[in-house]
Amino acid sequence: MEMEAMGAAGVMVHPGLPQAWGLAVLLFVLATSAWALALPGVGTAPTGHFSLSAVPGIGHVMRYFIARPWILFLLRLVFVAIFLLIIAAGLYGTPIPERNAATVLTWNLWWSGLVLSIFFLGSAWCGVCPWNSIANWLVNRRLWRRADASSSLNLTVPKWLRNVWPALFMFVGLTWLELGVGVTVDPFVTAILALAMVVMATVSLAVFQRNAFCHHFCPVGRTVGFYSQLAPVELRPVDPDICARCTTLECYAGSATVDPCPTHLVMGRLTQNTYCTSCGNCTRSCPDANIAWRLRSPAAEAMQDARPHWDEAWFMLVLLGLTGFHGLTMLPSWEDGIIGLARVIGDSGRMLVTFSAGLAASLAVPAFFYGLAVWATRKLVGDANHSFKSLFSRFAFVALPLAFAYHLVHNLGHLAREGAGLGAVLANPLGVGTLPMGAAERQLRMMDMFISQDALSALQALLMAFGFLIAVGVIQRRCRGLVKLQPGRVRLTMLPLLLFAAVFTGFHLWLLLQPMVMRL
Amino acid sequence: MAHKLAHISAALLTILLWLIATSGQVAAHHVLGRPSYALNEDSNTPPALQVETWIGDFDINYMVFPAFPRPGVPGRINLYVTDREDGRHFEGRVRFTIRDDSWAAWLGFGRPEETLGVQSPDDVVFRQGFIFSEGGDYIITARFEANDEPYVIDFPLRVGAPPALGPLGITIGVIFVVLAGVSIIQRRRVLTGKIRGAHEGRE
Repeated sequence: MEMEAMGAAGVMVHPGLPQAWGLAVLLFVLATSAWALALPGVGTAPTGHFSLSAVPGIGHVMRYFIARPWILFLLRLVFVAIFLLIIAAGLYGTPIPERNAATVLTWNLWWSGLVLSIFFLGSAWCGVCPWNSIANWLVNRRLWRRADASSSLNLTVPKWLRNVWPALFMFVGLTWLELGVGVTVDPFVTAILALAMVVMATVSLAVFQRNAFCHHFCPVGRTVGFYSQLAPVELRPVDPDICARCTTLECYAGSATVDPCPTHLVMGRLTQNTYCTSCGNCTRSCPDANIAWRLRSPAAEAMQDARPHWDEAWFMLVLLGLTGFHGLTMLPSWEDGIIGLARVIGDSGRMLVTFSAGLAASLAVPAFFYGLAVWATRKLVGDANHSFKSLFSRFAFVALPLAFAYHLVHNLGHLAREGAGLGAVLANPLGVGTLPMGAAERQLRMMDMFISQDALSALQALLMAFGFLIAVGVIQRRCRGLVKLQPGRVRLTMLPLLLFAAVFTGFHLWLLLQPMVMRL
Repeated sequence: MAHKLAHISAALLTILLWLIATSGQVAAHHVLGRPSYALNEDSNTPPALQVETWIGDFDINYMVFPAFPRPGVPGRINLYVTDREDGRHFEGRVRFTIRDDSWAAWLGFGRPEETLGVQSPDDVVFRQGFIFSEGGDYIITARFEANDEPYVIDFPLRVGAPPALGPLGITIGVIFVVLAGVSIIQRRRVLTGKIRGAHEGRE
């Protein structure tokens, strides 16, 4: 078995996915595509769900927990404490990134683990998000009870900001800082970034109505929100009829003691997880205790006929572009490539201009190919009633499972191979008196995986297949909605988007087969 | 809408081309490499701050000993300048200067630039010693001339511990100002509401 090795430039690299697994995924992609084209009418959106509050024993415990705000408060307190530790370590600890809790906890554990947490817990992170908790405590001057209306200016967010464009630009900016400037290897700047998030969340909460920062600006929250459309959990009404008869809408407006929904959601009409921040306000404010967590198929939401907005479609495409870009930047050959390009264009030093050009290209390429696929689909549909914009938004869900699957697989690799050594960092979070990690220690740390290499490879291959399968489901269902009861036409209209999904899965698979550079 | 997408794609490509076209003017011959900390386990060399990059026709490698310089403790910069084409080491002279990189310097109140020394290669390495009397953020600049072109290499260096209250103080200050401002505006709103209510009551 191939083990970790030093790359050509002296950097430590992880082995890529074994070729046998790559071949298996490729065969699955081809077989699924053939199946989808042969039987375009087969495959419906899984609509079944299972309320966790109905489970004997567990349901009682869940109802107890979601009805009591102090439990969520305690969880928030824990995350705020860790967040403050990260800031302190970043500001006052060692600048050696692999020895400082700021960089290790933020980029190795949280940033890698966040995407995995969405796979199991949806947008649960937003419910305990430390910068939002600190902002709420500071502005509302309450730990969990309803805020005084006068604590914020409660201004309406300007119309031009009432979308996810700000979050999208912030996400691109965050990626630029992460991979271009190298925030991930700078504890001090990591701490500054954490402080900046607190400032932005606090200012937004103090100025605008409800949690405008979570809704429109937070790049982490929006990423979590979009990915959580593919989560197997959701907060929904237990009995939709109760919501249909409700005239008081406590979930939206809040109650005497509980804050309203921070993102203006009405639970009775909720069909997507995108803007749910798992804050639990609705579960506590509903007088009928009609809101609860339930299990569902991860494919249910992306495959249904929701109509995303233009900005949301772009966010999903940017997620696809940036996840692939992350993979590219961690190839051992990336540095040689970027150096070659920089030499051609006369860039030097940190090569930020060259890097920015690469980032722009990584965003432009998926958007261009997706636009091309949508344009071809529109031609094949041959219905003038469907504008390019509406189809562009309608099919953007295809990008989501592709991005999510690769993001999961990529981060799983980092977490499995770079998670070791966490105990040493927690024991000495500021890294006082520590030395940089030597090659031998790096090698040992990478070999100390919490799951075996074979299990990791199998998981990665399964997740890639899972992403493609959901993407095919999205294409099938949404194409069927366009040309109802005409299987031949459905088959034809599916082709461009199926090709798009297969090409990007192939690209992600190729990235996975390559060795990957260690993050710290 | 296809036109709109074409416009957006065109805009992204324009940005890309613009970045490529202007990059030469922006960053040529100006180095700000990303530092890393290295431990050479095979020798007795202490940990060093190290940056590898290039500038114009030269590959640059500089190391700072110790990795975490402190005020009053002597340190050293080792600079390697190698021609990218033929691998030969640069044999001219390099002038090392130092300037303040603090907030005050950004606002124009920093200490003036000082010359550390002018060095010739010593066994292909340009060695420059230093000793800082005060801690803080500095930019060390190495300048040389080759092929009638000036080369400037800047690299940041932190001496001593980072400022205890800088970023934290700014954060607390900004939040305090915002919250105080909101509080004042809300009080005025309440007061204005009361006065308006009283007027309406009279009418």
